[in-house]
Amino acid sequence: MTSQRRKNPWARAFLYLFVFVLCIVILYPYFVMFTTAAKTRTEMYALDMTILPKKWMWSNFVDVWSQAPILRYFLNSLIVAGGATCIAILCGIPAAYAMSRMQFKGKSIFLGAVIMSQMFAPVVLLMGIYRLMLDLKLTNHLLGLVLLNAAFNQAFAIWLLRGTFLSISPEMEQAAKIDGCTTMGSLIRILLPMAAPGIVTTLIFVFINAWNEYTMALTLISTDTLKPITVGLNVFNGFNMIQWQYMFATSIFATIPVIILFLCIEKHLAAGLTSGGVKG
Amino acid sequence: MKKQPVLKKVEPYLWMLPSILLMLSMIAVPVITVFRLSVSDISRAGVVKGFAGLENFQAIFSSAKFWHTLQNTLVWTVVVVGFSTVLGFIIAMVLNQKFTGRKIVRAIVVFPWATSLIIQSIIWKYIISADFGSLNVILKKLGIITQNINWTPTASAYFAWECWIGIFVTVPFVTFCVLSGLQSIDENYYEAAEIDGAGFWKKLTSITLPLLKPSLTVSTVLNIIYVFNSFPIIWTITKGDPADKTHTLATYLYKLAFTNGRMGQAAAVSVVGFVILCVCAGVYMVLSLKAEKEDQL
Repeated sequence: MTSQRRKNPWARAFLYLFVFVLCIVILYPYFVMFTTAAKTRTEMYALDMTILPKKWMWSNFVDVWSQAPILRYFLNSLIVAGGATCIAILCGIPAAYAMSRMQFKGKSIFLGAVIMSQMFAPVVLLMGIYRLMLDLKLTNHLLGLVLLNAAFNQAFAIWLLRGTFLSISPEMEQAAKIDGCTTMGSLIRILLPMAAPGIVTTLIFVFINAWNEYTMALTLISTDTLKPITVGLNVFNGFNMIQWQYMFATSIFATIPVIILFLCIEKHLAAGLTSGGVKG
Repeated sequence: MKKQPVLKKVEPYLWMLPSILLMLSMIAVPVITVFRLSVSDISRAGVVKGFAGLENFQAIFSSAKFWHTLQNTLVWTVVVVGFSTVLGFIIAMVLNQKFTGRKIVRAIVVFPWATSLIIQSIIWKYIISADFGSLNVILKKLGIITQNINWTPTASAYFAWECWIGIFVTVPFVTFCVLSGLQSIDENYYEAAEIDGAGFWKKLTSITLPLLKPSLTVSTVLNIIYVFNSFPIIWTITKGDPADKTHTLATYLYKLAFTNGRMGQAAAVSVVGFVILCVCAGVYMVLSLKAEKEDQL
């Protein structure tokens, strides 16, 4: 019925202008990242700098892999993010299930505690985290980062999963139980397949958060070969000179997969975050 | 095949056990440690030497740097969350219109949300650097300036740029929360309002804003917590310098703990941060309970 509204041509023009400026501003840093990554080292510090590279050094994108143990950093990030995602989901699904399908004492307290846990960002707990990892002998160990990232993403995982489970009617599971299915069976065979979009959203969201995590990795990991990419990037920040071209080439490799993953879940994510919270 | 009643009672807790254990061990234990450290006398090597009472708190409260940091944190949180919320709301309203290329624009708006804060900060650090920075090059090529401008002559200028980056990365989250809220509003409300002769503002204040309240509340509450505790942007751009003038509590306590070796004082700063967030949470709870009561009347 929107066609009935009269379209003001000035409003249209303003809309397109607004959107155009918005896109320019948002894309600007990515444009800088891309063009700088393709510049030569001498051009980087030349006096007559140009916006686009005078000579496109596509070889930077290949050379960077041999300049530093980038592949190792990416692998570490993959291990940390992958491991954290698995643990966060495996712990989150049963908890979200109990909180969406069962009645019990202390449910609202637990829900409150989950939301409260968001107030403790890793950085304010770093001294506690550091000591805990020392006690567990997990400083400088990827397993430590896996567990920490899983824990700090637990609240969001439960939040998103519970929202998804609540949006699915329990009738099918009840019917299955009458037919002799166990609780576990009805969860795995009926609820989880129906909740698949929400679960995938949660998986990707936790993965991205853990992939982008910086503060804990910076503090806990000191061995170069164990650094994830966010910390490893600093390898190009040399003693007297920053190799911007390699830093940005690596950044592009670290950013593109995450943006693609994010675009896949963007629609479900915003709805999940707000509805999961409101239904509290 | 009836289950034991006892088992039935504990069953929900068993389901939640893995999650509870994970969060207790990795979050609750460090919280307790931080509180314990804040009242401990700790050597520079990190060994706890004994109980210090409130000495650590006295030490930070008597430091001018701490009060400056606290002021910065307040400005940082209010400015970043405030501007992001307003901008994010406007962008969401625009993206909710039908226009050619809307899908592409929506995808572009996601970028800053998905990019790692550390990468985003590194790019901006490069953009605003005076001698070889991209901003000066572009402005010169466009003929707007002739000489390189020093974008960060003072600590406040640095801090303003840090706020800008904070806003830049926070806006998409607000935008998508508001968008999801907007899309759940029934189009009929607007049509009915139009028949009654309601203009743009009337529709905005009587329909859109009240119905968006839940989405806006969630995004604002989460943003306050995240921005208050945000670390990578400031740490990458200035590390709190020049002269410790651009710290927020998060970077200040990091420097105290891991650069200056003052674990006890750093823990005290953490505790102060918790208390501030708890007070905010308390105020929020009281206000929302009050609003709920008013709704019921």
